Amino acid sequence: MFKAIVSAETLTSALDSVSVLVDECKIHLEEDGLEIRAVDPANVGMVDLSLDAAAFESYEADGGLIGVDLSRLEDIAGMAESGQLIQLELDEETRKLHIQIDGLEYTLALIDPDSIRQEPDIPDLDLPAEVILEGKDVNRSVTAADMVSDHIALGVDEGEEFFYVDAEGDTDDVHLELTQEDLIDLQLGPAHSLFSLDYLKDMNKAIPSDTEVTLDLGEEFPVKIYFGFGEGQGQVTYMLAPRIQSD
Amino acid sequence: MGNAALRDIAVIEEIPFDDVEGVVAVDAHNWLYRYLTTTVKWTSSEKYTTADGTEVANLIGIVQGLPKFFENDIVPVMVFDGGPSELKADEIESRREQRRTYEEQLEVAREEGDELAIAQLESRTQRLTPEIQETSRELLRLLDVPVVEAPAEGEAQAAHMVRRGDADYVGSEDYDALLFGAPLTLRQLTSKGDPELMDLEATLAHHDLTLEQLIDAAILIGTDFNEGVSGIGPKTAISAITEHGDLWSVLEARGDHVEYGDRVRALFREPNVSDDYAFDPDLDPDLEAARAYVVDEWSVDADEVARGFERIEESATQTGLDRWT
Repeated sequence: MFKAIVSAETLTSALDSVSVLVDECKIHLEEDGLEIRAVDPANVGMVDLSLDAAAFESYEADGGLIGVDLSRLEDIAGMAESGQLIQLELDEETRKLHIQIDGLEYTLALIDPDSIRQEPDIPDLDLPAEVILEGKDVNRSVTAADMVSDHIALGVDEGEEFFYVDAEGDTDDVHLELTQEDLIDLQLGPAHSLFSLDYLKDMNKAIPSDTEVTLDLGEEFPVKIYFGFGEGQGQVTYMLAPRIQSD
Repeated sequence: MGNAALRDIAVIEEIPFDDVEGVVAVDAHNWLYRYLTTTVKWTSSEKYTTADGTEVANLIGIVQGLPKFFENDIVPVMVFDGGPSELKADEIESRREQRRTYEEQLEVAREEGDELAIAQLESRTQRLTPEIQETSRELLRLLDVPVVEAPAEGEAQAAHMVRRGDADYVGSEDYDALLFGAPLTLRQLTSKGDPELMDLEATLAHHDLTLEQLIDAAILIGTDFNEGVSGIGPKTAISAITEHGDLWSVLEARGDHVEYGDRVRALFREPNVSDDYAFDPDLDPDLEAARAYVVDEWSVDADEVARGFERIEESATQTGLDRWT
């Protein structure tokens, strides 16, 4: 059983943050909210999303599991105007999702969850450095780095006490330093890792510019990027594996 | 190797390598064959021939071909053919026959000292010998490149893996990938420059056909498994299928016949593929062991593979998250 009413913005934010990595996903309809966990086929980028029941206007569920084609569901959610509510109801018999937006009724065929790639195990990471910054600074770093390179290095200078972004291109370079004062918070620790901008650019698309974003970093370790949405009732955690020079 | 006439039907566009990411299920024979022919064409045979006369040009080909994947952050999964489909045996037999003819011509060219003819003919007489089969797998293993053994056609298995979401693209020069239902196929992975992307959904939408109808149209034109109907090219095939609906109706209307039509159809619609495969896309190549294998064990000229190994070494490889789980 699943029946819920949610604002278009909240649903869209949730779907967008998953669809940057995968086309299809499983959604767990838990009693206390929705949960989605997915990884791209190359096993490089992962998303772990939870949306509390409190983020919904109304929410009833009893632990079911559905599989959805994300772009279909995003298209439907896109039919709602800002501020409109979207009503979702699962028909257990037909395995279809009934969606209502201001009189518009849409019946979405679901995907067999068993046909969707298995959900990933969440890596157990103990990352020594933590950087808290505004979404717009993440956007600035990623956009600038993308102008010169395919990769971006993120790190912390423990001596000089700043967080830095480096991108080296064939001809041009980008460097950005953010000190304690520029950041919301900085916890020093040994950190320097190289990441693919292809992934980071996609993840960046889902990060609202006025949101507080936390980056957990280590030395040649995955980065953990997390932020809230839906008035703090939703939480997205991305994990991105680093690039390592083979030797 | 598939029917090139399908190119006129397929929706294909060149895409920048930067836009390609993820896992490519590569039709390994198709890929290796390209490198074998170019290596044999441009490299003198003593550089890849052991003291006892075994030719391992494939090892040079692999070392030259893999950096392209690594540098562009693409994970190759090499899918090897299993036993040939019953029908394809005919094609293998005819290729064998053709090779015999080439070999005879090669003898003549050698006697006459015609360098260009020798180079051309040598490239065509290449085949995947047991040594090539075995040493290719071993070198790929040392470089930690995943290998999947297909029950039959490697291409069908690769398409199946993409349909299941375990890979993002099929990698093959062969237009048949489309008929095996490969959603996205990358071509020209072995050439310089950007690859071509062949899109099944766009192809079907463009002609307003179903996959079953596309297969029927291809059977009319001719595939690896059957001769086409004489006088039917890509355009005629599409309009005939659109008009009559399917293969049988077209044949009936024209009074034509396709040998084994239903079996060829089944080979594409329900190819022999397996769900029983697993691979780790996080590659951790052992370059030292790979270099020793190629240069010391198989006495390949070190200069021929130096640049390839260097390129693999320099490309910072993308790790996978499972390294931390």
